Amino acid sequence: MELPQVLGEPIRFILNWGRKYSLWVFNFGLACCAIEFIATSMGRHDFIRLGVIPFAHGPRQADLMVVSGTVTDKMAPAIKRLYDQMPEPKYVISFGACSNCGGPYWDSYSVTKGVDQLIPVDVYVPGCPPRPEALLHGIVKLQEKIAAEQSGFGGVRRKSAAELNAPLVSPP
Amino acid sequence: MTTPEKNGFPGKGLIKGLGITLKTMVSRAGTQQYPDVEPELPARSRGVIGLMESNCTVCMLCARECPDWCIYIDSHKETVEVPGAARARQRNVLDRFDIDFSLCMYCGICIEVCPFDALFWAPDFAYAEGDIRNLLHDRGRLGEHMAGVPAPPPHDPNGEPSKEESTAAKKGGAR
Amino acid sequence: MATAREMTVGVGAGAEQLDTTEMVLNIGPQHPSTHGVLRLKLKLDGERVTACEPVVGYMHRGAEKLFEVRDYRQILMLANRHDWLSAFCSELGVALAVERLMGIEVPERATWLRTALAELNRVLNHLMFLGSYPLEIGAITPVFYAFRERETLQAVFEEVAGGRMHFMFNRIGGLKEEVPAGWTTRARQAIGEVRRRMPDLDNLIRRNEIFLARTRGVGVLSAEQAAAYGVSGPVARASGLDFDLRRDEPYLAYGELDVPIVTRTAGDCHARFECLLDQVYVSLDLAERCLSHVDTLTGPVNTRLPKVVKAPEGHTYAWTENPLGINGYYLVSRGEKTPWRLKLRTASYANVQALSTLLVGCLVPDLVAILGSMFFVVGDIDK
Repeated sequence: MELPQVLGEPIRFILNWGRKYSLWVFNFGLACCAIEFIATSMGRHDFIRLGVIPFAHGPRQADLMVVSGTVTDKMAPAIKRLYDQMPEPKYVISFGACSNCGGPYWDSYSVTKGVDQLIPVDVYVPGCPPRPEALLHGIVKLQEKIAAEQSGFGGVRRKSAAELNAPLVSPP
Repeated sequence: MTTPEKNGFPGKGLIKGLGITLKTMVSRAGTQQYPDVEPELPARSRGVIGLMESNCTVCMLCARECPDWCIYIDSHKETVEVPGAARARQRNVLDRFDIDFSLCMYCGICIEVCPFDALFWAPDFAYAEGDIRNLLHDRGRLGEHMAGVPAPPPHDPNGEPSKEESTAAKKGGAR
Repeated sequence: MATAREMTVGVGAGAEQLDTTEMVLNIGPQHPSTHGVLRLKLKLDGERVTACEPVVGYMHRGAEKLFEVRDYRQILMLANRHDWLSAFCSELGVALAVERLMGIEVPERATWLRTALAELNRVLNHLMFLGSYPLEIGAITPVFYAFRERETLQAVFEEVAGGRMHFMFNRIGGLKEEVPAGWTTRARQAIGEVRRRMPDLDNLIRRNEIFLARTRGVGVLSAEQAAAYGVSGPVARASGLDFDLRRDEPYLAYGELDVPIVTRTAGDCHARFECLLDQVYVSLDLAERCLSHVDTLTGPVNTRLPKVVKAPEGHTYAWTENPLGINGYYLVSRGEKTPWRLKLRTASYANVQALSTLLVGCLVPDLVAILGSMFFVVGDIDK
């Protein structure tokens, strides 16, 4: 469904430009990282400068979900459901070690080993917790990704989490 | 406990609050312009781990002491013939030194336990990735992080001097 | 407190039909007012809550189990993550327990530095709630002021420990390393700056009429109830339960400090908020006094440990006055590198228990006000 020639390059550029600078963000604040997310939205770091708007009323009004914190197996269905409620095009930033791959709790019985097992993730921000500037860097990275996106009928095709999962790493 | 009567005329609390807002509105904003202006970070800031490969003797202490075991080391033994020595010496050669920064909890234990000062903190933080596999930094990439390692700050004169300071003092005394 | 008042909805002939049926309402697990993932199962009769059951476990990460496979040095790094707003105090508790079991004498300079940093951490924690609580009941402005102060203090922490939230500056037997030269002066400057700017936050919200209307007389927790539920910290002190380990069972250097305890008797949401606000001033003073005393002390900040840290067989219980209340650490060792069991008694868990009585009889609009005023961290509830 990628038909850039139908839409035309200028339209594609304008669409992506608009998407890139009006990311209504839905903070899936779960743990420590949520505090750093809040710090990023406050006066000192202020990600509204980058077009990230932290006042989405709920997932249905949001474009970007920032999963910040440990995803537990008990919480996993809620995350999946809220992600499904978000309208296309939607983006996910995995913020911090816990949501990247379980982090310090990777050997715990109750922790999901990374939010990318549930939903496709666009940008992984490393840190435990990452500093606010690291989130800003992640957002800039996401915006670059959005700018390079191809548009078409029915929006941008998203890969499912299963498709995005990396093949098993072969033993060295 | 204060009673409502102490609050003064009605609406005083609101007006006071609005006064604060007005005061802040006309004062300078403290916003940092990150993507345009790099932040100034203290030397101890834990951003990324740099590896000085020449110092590493493959003792595996860091990999063992890591609280979530995110350091992967492979090595092999090599026999070095030293001219004049009675026996050939064995030497560990590093094949692989990876740190998985998606797992790392940035505690600094590896740096602390390293007996030969091969690992260092650098304050860089900008290495978010689109693919989680790229967060596994191999030894080449870890070596690049060494460029950002700042000099350790001098210790408080009331406390004990740092390792670097005491070695520098010793060297100065010997000279 | 509005105790189970009889509600009659509808009068006259049709009263039976007009009577409302009981409704079950779920708040959370992802709800902005739960700052985290606490779920409340409410039974409502119209607007009034008839029963409340906090459902915990959405943030359960099994930290206690993970402690059992990590050695004492590594445990500290995990211990600060369950209560992410008081990371320093949490790692301190574990360090104190292990030190007690091993019989390690901590150098005086380290003790005073720990006290100073613990108090600064308390300020950081309280500032978070001072910002988020008004936010939850509709006042968005104070949180910006609270975070301005937090950033100032986090810079102090970052300079000394390298982290903004998880400081990881405690070690068994002391601190990680000596503070940088001139740090104590800069820390005192930062404290002075925060103290100078605190009236902004204070004037914004403490006497705000709307805030008073939302919080005064709402969610009254009596001292007996607080004691019965094991509620501690600022929440209990707001109810008049005058209990603070820093004074009643001093650890660290608190024995030599005169710790003023902030208490209220009203026990309502506003009293709890005021307790927190006043405690910020107290903690800033304490931290400044500790830092001044640190400047008069010389010597090391940590002790030499054996290569393998093993606690002797036995058990000990250490408790500390964390910013949110009493945190207890029950450490059982079988003489190995790792603890056999390390049980956490966390403040938030006990405080949240009280919600099941506190919320009964309140109105749904007051629910968020009461919930926010219990000052809990979800990771601290679920561990």
